[in-house]
Amino acid sequence: MEKILHKERLDDWIAALSDREILSPALEDGVWAFRPAGAAVRLDYPNTTQPPKGLAFPQREVFFSFEQVKGEAPLLRQTLPQVAQRVVFGVRPCDGRAVPRMDKVFSDHVEDPYYWARRKQVAYVGLACQQPPSSNCFCQSVGGSPVSSDGLDVLLTDLGERYFAAAVSETGKALMMAGESLFEAATDADRAQLQGAHAAALARPQRAVRDPDALPSKLKASFDSPLWEELARACIGCGICTFLCPTCHCFDINDEVTGAAPLKGKRVRTWDTCQFPDFTMHTSGHNPRENSGARLRQRVSHKFQYFHENFAMHQCTGCGRCVTGCPVGIDIVSVVNKVAEHAG
Amino acid sequence: MINLQDIRDTARDLLASGEVRAVIGFRSGSRGMAAEPAFITRPEEADELVWDPTCFHNLALYLVEDRKFQAHARANPAAPIAVVAKGCDARAIVVLLQEHYFKRDQVYIIGVSCEGSGVLDERKLAGHLNGFPATSAAFDGDDFVFVTAQGEQRLPAREVMAERCLECREPYPREHNVVLGENRSGRELALPFAALTRFEAQSPAERWEFWQRHFERCIRCYACRSVCPMCFCDECVVDSITYPVTAETTAEEKANRVRWIERSATRSENITYHMTRAMHLAGRCVDCGECERVCPVNIPLRLLNNKMEREARERFGYEPGASIGGPSLVASFRDDDPGQFIR
Ligand code: SF4
Ligand code: SF4
Ligand code: SF4
Ligand code: SF4
Ligand code: SF4
Repeated sequence: MEKILHKERLDDWIAALSDREILSPALEDGVWAFRPAGAAVRLDYPNTTQPPKGLAFPQREVFFSFEQVKGEAPLLRQTLPQVAQRVVFGVRPCDGRAVPRMDKVFSDHVEDPYYWARRKQVAYVGLACQQPPSSNCFCQSVGGSPVSSDGLDVLLTDLGERYFAAAVSETGKALMMAGESLFEAATDADRAQLQGAHAAALARPQRAVRDPDALPSKLKASFDSPLWEELARACIGCGICTFLCPTCHCFDINDEVTGAAPLKGKRVRTWDTCQFPDFTMHTSGHNPRENSGARLRQRVSHKFQYFHENFAMHQCTGCGRCVTGCPVGIDIVSVVNKVAEHAG
Repeated sequence: MINLQDIRDTARDLLASGEVRAVIGFRSGSRGMAAEPAFITRPEEADELVWDPTCFHNLALYLVEDRKFQAHARANPAAPIAVVAKGCDARAIVVLLQEHYFKRDQVYIIGVSCEGSGVLDERKLAGHLNGFPATSAAFDGDDFVFVTAQGEQRLPAREVMAERCLECREPYPREHNVVLGENRSGRELALPFAALTRFEAQSPAERWEFWQRHFERCIRCYACRSVCPMCFCDECVVDSITYPVTAETTAEEKANRVRWIERSATRSENITYHMTRAMHLAGRCVDCGECERVCPVNIPLRLLNNKMEREARERFGYEPGASIGGPSLVASFRDDDPGQFIR
């Protein structure tokens, strides 16, 4: 389904979707974040600091609550998330491409009920990039594009006064049908304008990963390279690069105990990251990923080798957040380029 | 103005003569215009070093890292490690020396005076350039000059300088082995604690609302802790398993260890984390501003640490990083301490 939506009708479309929760980028305290949109959706943003990942995989998820009176069997209460239908506006194509990747992670071998309870309720309305929103964008190097509709339900392209709206999924069609009278049919002239806008977007320069197809084998060959330690020399082991990444998904599970007699609490899942020094710490005190070099190798190889071996696609979508956010300038693009160059 | 060649020559000579085993300085990065920390061990690498207003980082952090590395490797290197240090970085080194983290002869301080230029605030700059990236930054004595795709842009120092530099009292690294640049006072563009004073003019209810709003957002990446040279504990209350595990530690002990702060990034846990960190930095924070700079979600952490700094100053006349020989705030006692309970 391809339609035209005049910009001044965007808010009417939002109103037509009022039975769902609407989110869109908002600038709060200097940070662009997806927030409840209220009546007005803002689409004049560069990109959000964090991707919309948390809507399906929040930083904190309660699995169940427990209670045990001494000597009796414990009582467990599963707490599957109950969330309303949500539509998130202003998803960049790189973040759209993260969605099928996260879906794979949370359904391979076992379907994660918590992830899917949230995921099934979210619809993603994307916005094609006309300009790379950051100087660290490299989506085209990793098989994406600034106009990709992969993983999205609707893709909007800005045509000046109007949006070209393309439904990509059944969910997307339903969203557009809900505001049917607001949309106009797209003509051949509109399609020609769309193609022009897309071609211009594709032609804008981005940073480049050289020969991304060769990366899985080159990374494999570089496992023992001393280069890792050198490249990670400045890394402070914060998790910024992973906590801002649309496809990082590592987690920790803990019991949060709130009372001793009876023993009470909740079992919760929280984000964790391979960049924290204690991430792989064994209970013996031995740590197989002992230094920041080994940890950088894990992050980069997971994105460009292990994920590729498992699912035949790179896990990195080129959003550039880890590059922009790293406080000491560790830059995944130059890291992979240097490692690949070294591997010959 | 500091002559970059002087920094390079100093580093080269120190490495060539074997007087130091490595130099920690700055080189240009591959991401935007910001410099990045550099570790050089060969004299011919000295030409990689740079010096400009994007040399934000407090490199004292890497002295701590080096010390931890040496301890782990059971190494006892004969030669010291050299570090390029601004005024605030040198104050951080002094606190580390006061706390006996390493010995004075294990570090060689290449002091560089900020001479009133200080470093930039990337967020302020981004606001001024409407999101367009700059490719380089320089300071010409009055203004910062940026090169962008749209041409050269000049911006007054006050508008793009880091807050801590606006308020800086000592841009000259008093403790040093060698020092480059003149001993000039700060620019006095703002009074010390200007931002804190503005903040404290609000009512307690407003301030509480402010902190709740900000800490709600914290994602607990701990970048603020990881970047701070004063946060060097081997065990931190927020980590799950860094507490010492020996062959004798039982499974029961591991499981029942007290957890002060939950891993969940919820407002209450986040506030507890930040309060704990602020208390651990009382009389130790040197206001290098790194914690605030690195926060990915823009939490104004400097206000919190400034508050502790001002308390130490007003109540005890104490200034962190002032002298190696002086006592540390929490480990000292004076007859005229205002607290009655201690006598
Ligand atoms: S690895 Fe970096 S560039 Fe790639 S998707 Fe994650 S944050 Fe974005
Ligand atoms: S690469 Fe950068 S963002 Fe990631 S852990 Fe290291 S210092 Fe932090
Ligand atoms: S706080 Fe002072 S010493 Fe530190 S960078 Fe700024 S001007 Fe230089
Ligand atoms: S750097 Fe910011 S987000 Fe990260 S833990 Fe510190 S305050 Fe929280
Ligand atoms: S608390 Fe922040 S400002 Fe103070 S020394 Fe640590 S990083 Fe610097």
